[in-house]
Amino acid sequence: MSSLQEKIEQYRQLFNDLAAKTKNSRDLEELKQAFLGRKKGYLTLLFDELKQLPPEEKRGAGEALNKFKTEIQQALSEIEERCQRPEVENPLTDLTLPGKKIYWGAPHPLTLFQRKIEKIFVSMGFSVEEGPEIETDYYNFEALNFPPYHPARDSWDTLYINDKLLLRTHTSPVQIRVMEKKKPPIRIIIPGKVYRRETSDPTHLPMFHQVEGLVVDRGITFAHLKGTLDYFIKALFGEKIKIRFRPSFFPFTEPSAEVDIECIACHGQDTQCRVCGGTGWKEILGAGLVDPQVFKNVNIDPEKYSGWAFGLGIDRTAMLAYEIPEMRYFYENDLRFLRQFNRK
Amino acid sequence: MNISYDWLNEYLDLNVPSRELAQYFNQIGLMVESLREIDGDTVYEIETYANRPDTLGHLGVARELAALLGLPLKSPSWPLVELDQSTSDLVDIQVLDSQLCPRYCGLVVKGVQVGPSPDWLKRRIEAVGLRPINNVVDISNYVCFSLGQPLHTFDFCQLKEARIIVRRARKGETLRTLDGQLVELTSDMLVIADEGKPVALAGIIGGEESGINEKTTDVFIESANFDPVSIRLTAKKLGLTTDASYRFERGVDINAAPLGAKMAASLLSQFGGKASRGLLDVYPNPRRTRSVPLRLKRVSELLGIEIPKEFVVRTLTALGLKLNEQKPGVWVTEIPSFRVDLEREADLIEEIARFFGYDRIPTEVTPARSFELPASERQDCLWLLKEILFHYGFDEVINFSFGDREKEKIWQTGLEPIKLQNPISSRASILRTSLLPGLVENTVWNYNREANGVHIFETGKIYFWEEDGKQREEWHLALLTSGQREAKTWNQPARETDYFFLKGAIEDLFSYLGYETPSFEPEDHSFFQTGQAVRISIKKEPVGYLGLLKPEIRLAYGLDKLAYGGELNLEVLFDRQPRAFSFTPVPRFPGVVRDLSFLVDSRINFQDIYSQLKKLNVPYLERFEIYDRFEGDSLSAGQVSYSVRFFFRHESRTLQAEEVDRAMLDIISQLKSGLKIQLR
Ligand SMILES: [Zn+2]
Repeated sequence: MSSLQEKIEQYRQLFNDLAAKTKNSRDLEELKQAFLGRKKGYLTLLFDELKQLPPEEKRGAGEALNKFKTEIQQALSEIEERCQRPEVENPLTDLTLPGKKIYWGAPHPLTLFQRKIEKIFVSMGFSVEEGPEIETDYYNFEALNFPPYHPARDSWDTLYINDKLLLRTHTSPVQIRVMEKKKPPIRIIIPGKVYRRETSDPTHLPMFHQVEGLVVDRGITFAHLKGTLDYFIKALFGEKIKIRFRPSFFPFTEPSAEVDIECIACHGQDTQCRVCGGTGWKEILGAGLVDPQVFKNVNIDPEKYSGWAFGLGIDRTAMLAYEIPEMRYFYENDLRFLRQFNRK
Repeated sequence: MNISYDWLNEYLDLNVPSRELAQYFNQIGLMVESLREIDGDTVYEIETYANRPDTLGHLGVARELAALLGLPLKSPSWPLVELDQSTSDLVDIQVLDSQLCPRYCGLVVKGVQVGPSPDWLKRRIEAVGLRPINNVVDISNYVCFSLGQPLHTFDFCQLKEARIIVRRARKGETLRTLDGQLVELTSDMLVIADEGKPVALAGIIGGEESGINEKTTDVFIESANFDPVSIRLTAKKLGLTTDASYRFERGVDINAAPLGAKMAASLLSQFGGKASRGLLDVYPNPRRTRSVPLRLKRVSELLGIEIPKEFVVRTLTALGLKLNEQKPGVWVTEIPSFRVDLEREADLIEEIARFFGYDRIPTEVTPARSFELPASERQDCLWLLKEILFHYGFDEVINFSFGDREKEKIWQTGLEPIKLQNPISSRASILRTSLLPGLVENTVWNYNREANGVHIFETGKIYFWEEDGKQREEWHLALLTSGQREAKTWNQPARETDYFFLKGAIEDLFSYLGYETPSFEPEDHSFFQTGQAVRISIKKEPVGYLGLLKPEIRLAYGLDKLAYGGELNLEVLFDRQPRAFSFTPVPRFPGVVRDLSFLVDSRINFQDIYSQLKKLNVPYLERFEIYDRFEGDSLSAGQVSYSVRFFFRHESRTLQAEEVDRAMLDIISQLKSGLKIQLR
């Protein structure tokens, strides 16, 4: 056998190897180019070589080469046909078997609920502010019109760090911090952690989350406070929810109000209801017009500007919304609890 | 505060059935928390506020209802049976500190027969939740819960030299109080003393010795007014709260003192008591009536509704204010002494709103002259970060910010913890200096409750003292992964978590949030097993660390399984601007791919190889991927094999094979000099 014929044999081997691996039209194109390419295709090169052979060898080799070319062309067209046919997997026996799942982590219910609240206010043009959790007496109390040694402080039982510093008992100090650096109009909400020195029970823990709202501008009225909270509560609990405003007292608002919603558990139908104690109402937030003294403390003229503020316990409101009986569930972080809030 | 329906009727003739009264209480903010029927009477437990001491007596509550319901307020008369002697002949009252005791009224009542109270009085006492004791004590409580004026009654014969001295305690003095405690007095405390020693802690509690007992016949009635702050400080210091201190620290009507004494003396006359003539009233600096301006225009400006002028006048008058109109719709009002809370126009506007009814004020959308930009970048970043971790299958937890000082010690965070002065428990005595301890506790909790694997994160603050003594709060992110990550299914075996799952999540956090790729340098850390931790940095600035939690820590928390944890200081990220995004044109010309496999000294870690590859300066090189790495087998010890795929592209034409060949040679020579690689 001539050396050309040996070469043909080698290239046939190579072609068969490559052909077996050819699964798509891109591979096919490469294979075609490699063997039939005009300049550098193997076959082209072999034909060039054939031309150099002495005539006695030319004939036999030429026949072999032509045969190889036909083989390649035939094989390529078969492969082409195969590549155009969609591939068929091994048929499955039971198509009702469960599909493959990817687990998505669950947001903490308080994050979820806080985000719901933020979205409602952001849609009304509010921005979200934050502030320190370690505060001074001035920001936590005095600037908010709690006189020193006043019993009003009793409802805000405080965890102290030292004589100067404490853990904020509400998010309201951030109101002061924002008003100190920004002039009206102000339209903000302030979510965050707050701390109270309270004995734990189903609805009290030493740490919980609050969201505070503050609007300051010319001509802000109590009617505006009512209207905005009415919208907010309906956005959170549905349009049909009954809402009640009643007078209350907070040192930093005047007039002050507490807002109750109808009991979602019994709708006022159950005198033994464990959620509302049979009253049919559940208090969800405190609010009021910003006290003129608070404005004076931050150098805003209360004759020119007025404003409203509210504060809501995120934990307790989330408990109502999701019908969670005890606040401790939020902080036990039991996955069987947390994962219920996945994609809620 | 418990309010009795029958008792209210001493001050007004209620025309509303007792059941329906609750809604009227609620309307004016005296929220009814519960309601009980006792012997035909109805007792309402109402919520009272720190600024409204006047509602701590039935008279004050009756006044509110009278104003709301338009009923006249009755004033019962309190006739006395009098002795021939005048009070000043019988007793000497000296007030040495009129700052702390602005008013002191006293009467002596002789010949009282101490004994059980009559039924009507017992019912009153029981209605407010007290236990009847004897007629003298019950009468003083009756007066207290009627007027909001606390009284104290002394056994007159026990007062040495028949003298009452209101003064500050002297150092070293003590007093055995009515509840049997021996109290050590300090000079900031106001006491009632006789000639010899303190006989009562002013405005808080009486002394045992001078208290009323069965043998008492002559009673000294004290009806006084004390400084709220002084009472509060003393009560707090001693941890004592009494009905008296509760009222005094909120501010008792300065003008209630004379009536309180007379009322008690009048009631004692039913038990044979005869009162000394002429009330002793030490009131050296009578208070001026407070006057507060009020503008009708301002009322509607703040409430958002026109309130009729007649309504304003009628309501405030019924509440005891005197209105002097200066101009139409502009008044100067005189505030009655029992309303310590009314000081400014805003306070009066609240009164008007309260009685007008919050439900009658319209609901309007808050107008806006401008809108704030939505969330800050920081909050966006925080939420996006969470979304990425949810995608990775991490569940979010929220732990208390408190830490256990003892337990945190084994973590050696190296941060000076902030201690609480009055912690709730020793297990929550400091503020946490790391989020990971909380996550380890959550992991143990869940392993003890059927979990096969725990993959959790928390974002929150840590707290510590800085070296300059300032407090610092830092936003952190902590992650923990342990145990099974995917359960076995019909077509897939169970999968355990590993270090690289955690590292991948962290790497993706940086890239999805738009920050530059951080570097991970092996470095030991107190949380992690030796040699099993890395420090994460951006451009040399440390951001955090991750690794395999060390056995000592797992042991301390009872965590049996391996756990990988990491913690990042988010402030470092917040302080840096993420790369601004702009799109890159989609390539129009095909790229060329070349693979390279090489051997490298196994002491060179991936981080170094990666940064060498990053540094390559080669034309047309678009990116690279490291797609294989192995050691052992056929390789000699101390060698690792890497396979890297390089992607080349020219943006405006198709690359020639020769150009790519040259680029590959360039790569090889750069890697040879940088990493001493050997081609395979
Ligand atoms: Zn209910």
